[in-house]
Amino acid sequence: MTITAIGKIEKKGFGFGVWALVSEDGKTYELQNPPPELCQSHAKVKIEGTIQEGVMTLAMIGPVLDLESYEILS
Amino acid sequence: MKKLLFLVLFIVGIWLAVGYFVDTKGLANKGKFDSIIINFDNDLPTADISQELAIVSQSTKQNPSLNSIFSIDQHIYTVKGDKSLLHKLRTSPIKKYTEYIEPNYIYSALETANDPDYSKQWNFRSINVEKAWDNNHGEGITVAVIDTGVSRVPDLRDTDFVEGYDFVNDRLDASDDNGHGTHVAGTIAQSTNNNYGVAGIAYRAKIMPLKVLSAGGGGTVADIAEAIRFAADHGASVVNLSLGGGGESTVLKEAIDYAYSKGVAIVAAAGNENQNSASYPGRYPKVISVAALDATGNKAPYSNFGARVDISAPGGSEQGKEGKILQETLDPTTKKPVLVGFQGTSMAAPHVAGTVALIQSSQLQVAKQEAAKNPNAKIKAEDLKATEVSSPAEILDILKQSSRKVQDDSFNYYGAGQLNAGEAVTLAVQGKLSFKDFFRWLRDNGYLNPIFWFDGGAIAVLPKILMIVGSYLLAFLLRVYVPLQWGAPLNWGLIFGSSGLFFLQGFYIFDLPQWPFRIMGSSFPELGNSVQGSHLLNPFFASVLIPLGFLLLLLGNRSGKSFAVGITLGVASYLTVSAVFNPHLWLLGAGTVSQVFLGVNALFCIFLAWLATKGEQRLV
Repeated sequence: MTITAIGKIEKKGFGFGVWALVSEDGKTYELQNPPPELCQSHAKVKIEGTIQEGVMTLAMIGPVLDLESYEILS
Repeated sequence: MKKLLFLVLFIVGIWLAVGYFVDTKGLANKGKFDSIIINFDNDLPTADISQELAIVSQSTKQNPSLNSIFSIDQHIYTVKGDKSLLHKLRTSPIKKYTEYIEPNYIYSALETANDPDYSKQWNFRSINVEKAWDNNHGEGITVAVIDTGVSRVPDLRDTDFVEGYDFVNDRLDASDDNGHGTHVAGTIAQSTNNNYGVAGIAYRAKIMPLKVLSAGGGGTVADIAEAIRFAADHGASVVNLSLGGGGESTVLKEAIDYAYSKGVAIVAAAGNENQNSASYPGRYPKVISVAALDATGNKAPYSNFGARVDISAPGGSEQGKEGKILQETLDPTTKKPVLVGFQGTSMAAPHVAGTVALIQSSQLQVAKQEAAKNPNAKIKAEDLKATEVSSPAEILDILKQSSRKVQDDSFNYYGAGQLNAGEAVTLAVQGKLSFKDFFRWLRDNGYLNPIFWFDGGAIAVLPKILMIVGSYLLAFLLRVYVPLQWGAPLNWGLIFGSSGLFFLQGFYIFDLPQWPFRIMGSSFPELGNSVQGSHLLNPFFASVLIPLGFLLLLLGNRSGKSFAVGITLGVASYLTVSAVFNPHLWLLGAGTVSQVFLGVNALFCIFLAWLATKGEQRLV
């Protein structure tokens, strides 16, 4: 399932840390293998990606998002 | 005559109770001894003491000795001996020269660990692990850690490993390139009493490293399913899954069923989304799903809760100083070992997996002892395996029964309770298990259904039954004085007023909010507190007001009035039972004020029902 979401990029403190998109409607998506540019906090990012139903992670913070494109808005 | 009979029965009852206490909980159960204390009377002359000591020496064929130099004035001597000598001395003529003759019980300190940072492992004390260590340390058990791999950091060097597999890169070497799996393995079996680092729960158990998550922390359900089957086929009796997410998967479910059928206990993290319902694979029926506690024993802020949470264990939290779970692992950036605190249900699950290893080890030990005694045993003692002597269902039952129960857990934050490793091992050794009630049966069978789940622990059944019985008793008594319209409306009124459809309070549908079921499962007096899941009754709802409202509204309708009278009597019963068992009201607190409030309102309700039905009598 492909989705587009706008939100902030945050590091979540599970294990040594994972990067997540917390969308404006409050939903948390775990970023799968994010590029270095998204491995830092951003206030507003637009992301398009596919939810990976067959992937499990150590963070367990929400659906896993395989990035297709992104745009840093601020 | 009747009074005399009651008095005799009362005395016999007291005598039996005291006798039972002395036999089971009291003196006979205090512990081991291999010497006996003889305390001579303080005013007995020294010459007489010497004479008596000579007699003791003659009969025991040993010289009694002073317990210490401080015992001279106290006249306290000890002799080596057991129960039979104790009895002999107590029935001998020496007895009359003593203040007491009693066993010199041996007290031993609980086993602890010499690892220098063990003192920072608050989580181990909170699960009472030292008591479990008095029995075993996981000997003979293999725990599969299905994770990011496990690296042999210095504090895992004394821990035994068996061959694992790296399903991500398809190779035998299942080293860790993330740090998560090594941390998890540390909680289970960190090398302990090695004067280094920290301790592990079942530190004599073997670790089977199975890598299914990449350095980035993610992995496929196909790899996880294969790893579970590998564990079951290669001698693991416990599997730890500190991972989750994704949707339902047949391949994973079948792998879990396969391992379960081979006697493997599967433990999984409930997830870190702070949502109602455990995530997969914790959600599967045959998995022990673990929620996380912080250092204060409360729900960790991130932990999933509600549907399919079996038990809770320390997962730590970044809020508060040193509130995380400390283990040694590998820092993926420096590639060096590091003692680091992590948080998550990922950390809670291995506490349970380690405890399962301790339970299985104790059961294996007992089974081996029994097999060794029996020359006709089909399997030799040394060939027995953990999966042959304990079933995953029994393990779950032991974990739940031994857990520390949490009162007022309306949201099922804690499952059956907080993990208690010490009690779990004690219970496993005693082998005393019983299925308590219908609700457990219902809950266990609820697992067969992937849509809903039932939490039997949400309801205190006895007060609810008393409330229903009480309401019918009131209706019966009232019928003696005034005619009641006995029928469906009255019955429903009695039920909704007293207990409500209370079994619905523990009902969950995955991923849906649970409050509608709490409301549907509440009686009228509980409606004021059921939405927020509080056990504090709201004094506006737990009063005569609702029955009064119903009576005023429905007085003109025959069936409606009967329903309202039923509610009034039901509420009266509810308030009475609450006044006795749980007089705790919002704003009024717990105690006499609430008790009086509930009692007075119960009387008002009875009066109201009488008034309403009395009116009817006149009409008839």
